[in-house]
Amino acid sequence: MLVDAFLELLNLWVLVAALVGIVSGIIIGAIPGLGPTMAIALLIPVTFSMQPIPAIILLLGVYQGAIFGGSISAVLLNVPGTPSSAATAIDGFAMARRGEGGRALRFALYASVIGNIFSCLVLMALAEPLARFALDFGPAEMAMLMVFALLVIVLFGGGSKLDALIMVLVGACAGIVGLDPISGTPRFTFGSFAFENGFQLIPVLIGLFAMSEVLLQAFDREPLVGDAEVPPLKSSAVRFVELWRMRMTLFLSSLIGTFVGILPGIGSTVPAFMSYSLARSRSADPDAFGRGAPEGVAAPEAANNAVTGGALVPTLALGIPGDAVTAVILGAFMLHGLAPGPFLFRDHGLEVYAIFQALLLSSIPTVILGLLFFRVAIHVTRIQPRHLLPAITILAIFGAFSVNNSLFDVWVMLGAGVLGFLLRRANFPLPPLLIGLILAAPFEQSLRQALLTSGGGYGIFVGSPITIGLVALTVLSLAISLFFSLRKPRI
Amino acid sequence: MSSNGQGGGIARPGFRTLTTGLLLAAAAWGLYSLDSQIQVFGFGASGPDARTFPRLALWLLAAAVALRLVLSLRAKDFPLGNPVRLGRVLTVTASSAAALWAMPQVGFFFGAAGAGIVVALMLGERRPLLLVLPLIVAAVVTFGGRHGLSIPLP
Repeated sequence: MLVDAFLELLNLWVLVAALVGIVSGIIIGAIPGLGPTMAIALLIPVTFSMQPIPAIILLLGVYQGAIFGGSISAVLLNVPGTPSSAATAIDGFAMARRGEGGRALRFALYASVIGNIFSCLVLMALAEPLARFALDFGPAEMAMLMVFALLVIVLFGGGSKLDALIMVLVGACAGIVGLDPISGTPRFTFGSFAFENGFQLIPVLIGLFAMSEVLLQAFDREPLVGDAEVPPLKSSAVRFVELWRMRMTLFLSSLIGTFVGILPGIGSTVPAFMSYSLARSRSADPDAFGRGAPEGVAAPEAANNAVTGGALVPTLALGIPGDAVTAVILGAFMLHGLAPGPFLFRDHGLEVYAIFQALLLSSIPTVILGLLFFRVAIHVTRIQPRHLLPAITILAIFGAFSVNNSLFDVWVMLGAGVLGFLLRRANFPLPPLLIGLILAAPFEQSLRQALLTSGGGYGIFVGSPITIGLVALTVLSLAISLFFSLRKPRI
Repeated sequence: MSSNGQGGGIARPGFRTLTTGLLLAAAAWGLYSLDSQIQVFGFGASGPDARTFPRLALWLLAAAVALRLVLSLRAKDFPLGNPVRLGRVLTVTASSAAALWAMPQVGFFFGAAGAGIVVALMLGERRPLLLVLPLIVAAVVTFGGRHGLSIPLP
């Protein structure tokens, strides 16, 4: 299987897709506000006419490139391109101010690649066994698994738990629209045929992440980046021995990123700061952190890149996305006929392993292109919103239309954009909404199938070792969350 | 990038109250119209039907949003700000809606380019030469979509 999958990669279009994806990602990621989620959502239509393997590789290349791109503006301008780069900015910008911006970016790049390789290996090791295990899951097990996943998002996603709960429920309520998954009864369709398919994921994503950004900028009219001077970039290099000295930091950060990534809804910002704190506490010179310590750059970068592979484990094996980006990637897999879930590895193992190997191997072009393009990407950070966002509006309209060749989806995108604007201005988190929307239909289906099987008896949800284990995990999560809430000092 | 707002606590109601109020109204309307929007034909089957999950989700949403609204009364809100700023948002939304409405008649190119130009104007672009940029992007996207990706754009 592995050899056959590798042979699938020996195709010029796969290489072109990887290179185009990485370069686009670095450039897009360097522009503050244009995170990987928006970039991938807008680029999905471009992949419609492509074969599944190069299409997914292009999108994952965008993701890899965008995460590194996000660190460019973080290090050089103290403006994180993505939220997860905020931790990188602390020491990266301090290094840049003393003329070591090039070195900081190299540390960021190498740490990113190490984090990515580590998480890819974990992904390859865990995803298929997990999917094989999940083949034994019946409706009751799937329902309890989704309850656990949604609870983790609410309890540990960061920020207000009530806000996260509201967002999950908004997503679940949006997921109700369309045909009932069991009986096919129309629900909130207003007698319209267009509503019967429900709200499609990609138009909602484009609206929430791209159109809402246009509206936020129309409201704020803030330049993406102020007039801050870019510190001079001197020629510099990072020696292997310097990376070797921080091997434990890189390993632990990659480990944190990967395993936090596996938990749904937490995203890459939390592990980036966790890794930063751990690296600081383990350091022989903790006072150097915040004043330009290379480990302060490497730790968050390794962690936030390792999140990708970790988040792909539940996404691909169980169909439960880990964060907003993996929700978009899940949408891309579905559009290309590779429905994530326990059957993915059985039905499309070749394609999936080819994608895993490409993700691993793309570390090489990421290093080369990262070193080549970071000087170009600095200029990209200077693009003004009034030049960029009209193009994003046009791409958003095009992207939403092209999913089903339907203007209804464009209306959905616009509605999601307005909702996204209001929610972002009110500081509600968007990823729980997205995950609620994705999981609503399968959760309801599993729940009702389980109850139909049991004749309406709720004992089915504690009727097997797997469901008992999942219930125990759910209760444990609640207990942990309650424990930490009670321990938190009140001001 | 765009500030998501830092608790201002100056003017009320702010974005949080407005958004929460809208969500509560939507949940209440959903519960009110649930029976008319979801027709269930019983065949004697026991257990949950097509209304059960929506009813549960909408009740939970209404309860959670009501709790948030009550808690928000004691917390700082995110001010709505100058009406001109909201006016720009409404203009972008209305122009995009108008572009979509007109798209079947005028085609994708003119609809999308029109929406793009309004966005550029609302973001402060005043140089006529740079207002051509959305036209170029719309032309490239239209051509690429139709001929490169074979998408039947309006």
